[in-house]
Amino acid sequence: MADLGVMALLLGLALSAYSAVGSIIGEKRGMAELVVSARRALYMTTLAAAVASGALINAFVQNDFSIKYVADHSNTLMDRAFVWVAFYAGNEGSLLYILLTLSIITALSVWFAPKRLARSMPWTIAILAVIQLFYFGVLAFVASPFELLGTVPGDGRGINPLLTHPGMFSHPPLLMGGLIAITIPFAFVSGAMIAGNYGDDWIDVARVSAIISWGVLGTGMLLGAWWAYTILGWGGYWAWDPIENVALMPWLVMTAFIHSVMVQKRRGMFRMWNVALLNIAFVLAQLGMFINRGGPVVSVHSFAASTLGVIFLIFMLASLVFAFALFLWRMPEMKSDRAMESFISREASFLINNFLFLSVMAVTLWGVLFPLFSDLARDVSVSVSAPYFDRANGPVLLGIVIMMGIGPLLPWRKSSARSLKQWFMWPTLVGVLTIVVLVALGVQRPVAILAFGVVAFVATAISEEWWRGTAARHQAGDNWLLAWWRLVNGNRPRHGGYIVHISILMLGLGIIGTNFYQQRTDGALSLGESLVIDNYRIEYVGNGDESRRDRIAQWAEMSVYRIDTNDYSTEIAVARDEGLSGFTLENSEVRPNDELIAQIQPWHGFYPDFNMASVRSGIRSTIVEDLYVIPRDFLADGRISLAVSINPLAWWLWASGPFFILGTMVALWPQSSVERRSKHQKVPAAPDDNEGEL
Amino acid sequence: MASRYPFVLSGSRAFPGKSIAISTSLFLLVLAFSAGGCIREEDITLEQRAHQLAGELMCPVCEGQTIDGSNAQIAQDMRLKVRERLDAGDTNANIRDYFVVRYGEEILAAPKGSGFNLLAWIVPVVIVLGGIGIALTMINNMRKSTERSAVPTAPAEDDLSMYLEQVDKDLGVADQANQSDKAHS
Repeated sequence: MADLGVMALLLGLALSAYSAVGSIIGEKRGMAELVVSARRALYMTTLAAAVASGALINAFVQNDFSIKYVADHSNTLMDRAFVWVAFYAGNEGSLLYILLTLSIITALSVWFAPKRLARSMPWTIAILAVIQLFYFGVLAFVASPFELLGTVPGDGRGINPLLTHPGMFSHPPLLMGGLIAITIPFAFVSGAMIAGNYGDDWIDVARVSAIISWGVLGTGMLLGAWWAYTILGWGGYWAWDPIENVALMPWLVMTAFIHSVMVQKRRGMFRMWNVALLNIAFVLAQLGMFINRGGPVVSVHSFAASTLGVIFLIFMLASLVFAFALFLWRMPEMKSDRAMESFISREASFLINNFLFLSVMAVTLWGVLFPLFSDLARDVSVSVSAPYFDRANGPVLLGIVIMMGIGPLLPWRKSSARSLKQWFMWPTLVGVLTIVVLVALGVQRPVAILAFGVVAFVATAISEEWWRGTAARHQAGDNWLLAWWRLVNGNRPRHGGYIVHISILMLGLGIIGTNFYQQRTDGALSLGESLVIDNYRIEYVGNGDESRRDRIAQWAEMSVYRIDTNDYSTEIAVARDEGLSGFTLENSEVRPNDELIAQIQPWHGFYPDFNMASVRSGIRSTIVEDLYVIPRDFLADGRISLAVSINPLAWWLWASGPFFILGTMVALWPQSSVERRSKHQKVPAAPDDNEGEL
Repeated sequence: MASRYPFVLSGSRAFPGKSIAISTSLFLLVLAFSAGGCIREEDITLEQRAHQLAGELMCPVCEGQTIDGSNAQIAQDMRLKVRERLDAGDTNANIRDYFVVRYGEEILAAPKGSGFNLLAWIVPVVIVLGGIGIALTMINNMRKSTERSAVPTAPAEDDLSMYLEQVDKDLGVADQANQSDKAHS
């Protein structure tokens, strides 16, 4: 198996090298057949990557512990389903997975590339081939997943316990796939730049591939957050750690791109800008690959220690130089067809939104790099973690949400005062009203109240747009549902965008709720005791354990009661005096108004081979709030030590996911040829109307 | 020509941004007012303060986790220590300093806003303000170039008309509608 894998990698290396060289020489010398041959060689690399991946997966299935990677990342006890996870559990395997993804999407995008890009395709193919060449080279010579062990162990070490979660089947592949997929729009645009194809021929393919990579990366991040929330046992879902940040940064830039590319599509503006955004996103994706390989912490020490890190650093710098040299070379050719007419126009608001996204990206990058500067400048280590990013990025993120309400309501080019008043009256009123009502209700935390107002403002803006469009169709005779469906269908990029905006608002609700209103208490319970927080009583009613060679698992059975705080007023008063948010009760008798609402099972596992603990929180989730019970430890005296929190609106974080995916798909859904034809026939004379293709 | 509505000028001299500027400032005014109104003495327990502080201190042995999130023994001990100092009446700043003296600056999850570390906080402000400044300048420059080239422009369409147009299009009467629109303008 190992031999087959190595051979496939070497074959892929040769094929991609041939493809790169052949494509360039064929194009330069006008040898059309060589260009075709180079393109077909690039299809063949997919096969090579697939055979290598198949060999590795087969080695896992066969428990072939003579291969070091297999012995390091699985054992005979591992559930067979986790073979897929074990495949990318380490550096070497994840690189192979990335290469497999890259080669598949490369083949698909080259196959489906529009005909009018023929002139730039040889360059696009050469770029894609070079990037594949890099990965084949690294896998063949530096980080081979097929390295053999001198002595074959009887059993493997097992899979990293943190990876044994359903989210791990999809989170890492989506994240890595999304990052590498940014290569596709980059390669198409760069190819067009080299070939001198400055027009907008590359727009559609860049837009579609950009939205796919963006949607995949976004879904991957959201799944990662969900995984952290349910299994990592620290009570949060986003820690702003370097690994998360390097995925977020290219995503932010891609978000900017998929907005501003519409300006180019509709108005022929922002060409240079769009090319620059793709360049930045690609380089940031390479930074992500580098930080993921070079170790999770960026410091002068960690990347010097890893050869792989150095190689990826060099590749990142090379792509940076290549992308921007190309950009500067071709910059004079990329003029806008039209000029900006007004500050109060959709194109202007898109430009501002772009800068806000880039600001968050740059601030995040600054936060990631600051410890490095501190090390270099002062030789003092500092940490830059969640409290920093929350404060530094929070206000701008809120600004982006505000723009999400304003931008789509502005017409292209410029707006009349009358239309502004018409469009903004309701959203502003509802936003202000939300704030006033929340204040009147005695809700605390001004920043959060402001943020709720902003969410209401944007939600109203979207509803208004849908309402008016639907009403107009309803007048024309459709029933309401059909009217709305036709509205969405009439301009899928735009209305898919609105659905994504709604998902972002849902995410926003969850972020506000959990960040500003979380309640938390710690405690330790013996069997039969209860812990009370807010209007919940959590009773420890039983426990269980299971010992396996590779892990010792313990769990608790807990009954969750909703209580009437009046029944517990004496205890609550005592706890308040002691400065506690919750308290324990030795006697768990059921009081008159207690109502059993859920059974939860906080789970704690210890993995001796990894010297690592993994916990699964007990969660009782409603759309209002989650009761979240982390089992910190099972103590020697039989007690269980708990961290209990109430996370308001956490449900919305995860509910946003399906809407995000749905909106992305709606925006991507291709128009059928019939629709396209009818559109071209009917509106030849009005390229600038407000509707149409957005 | 004067408008029937307040805050709205119409006709050739109307500045389209004016009404948005006025309503934005009104919006902000209401926000500022209501924000002022809702700052109250928070009913915050010592335990909540301890939890907050724990979120601002890194766990020395875990990678990238605060002591609030970590289950490591040292994190538990540090949480107890935080609680102890709070009970003794220390301020949050006292407690942070207590840990910095023992573990170095690295223990703080966000760098302090003084000395070299002030850079960590100033740069983001510069980035954001600079970014917005560049965006506005770019728009302004692009706008000026329009005035010079004087591209003829039709008035922007608004409210329902665009939807009605789309509906008409879908109903297959777009051509007549388009033509009659053109005749009007």
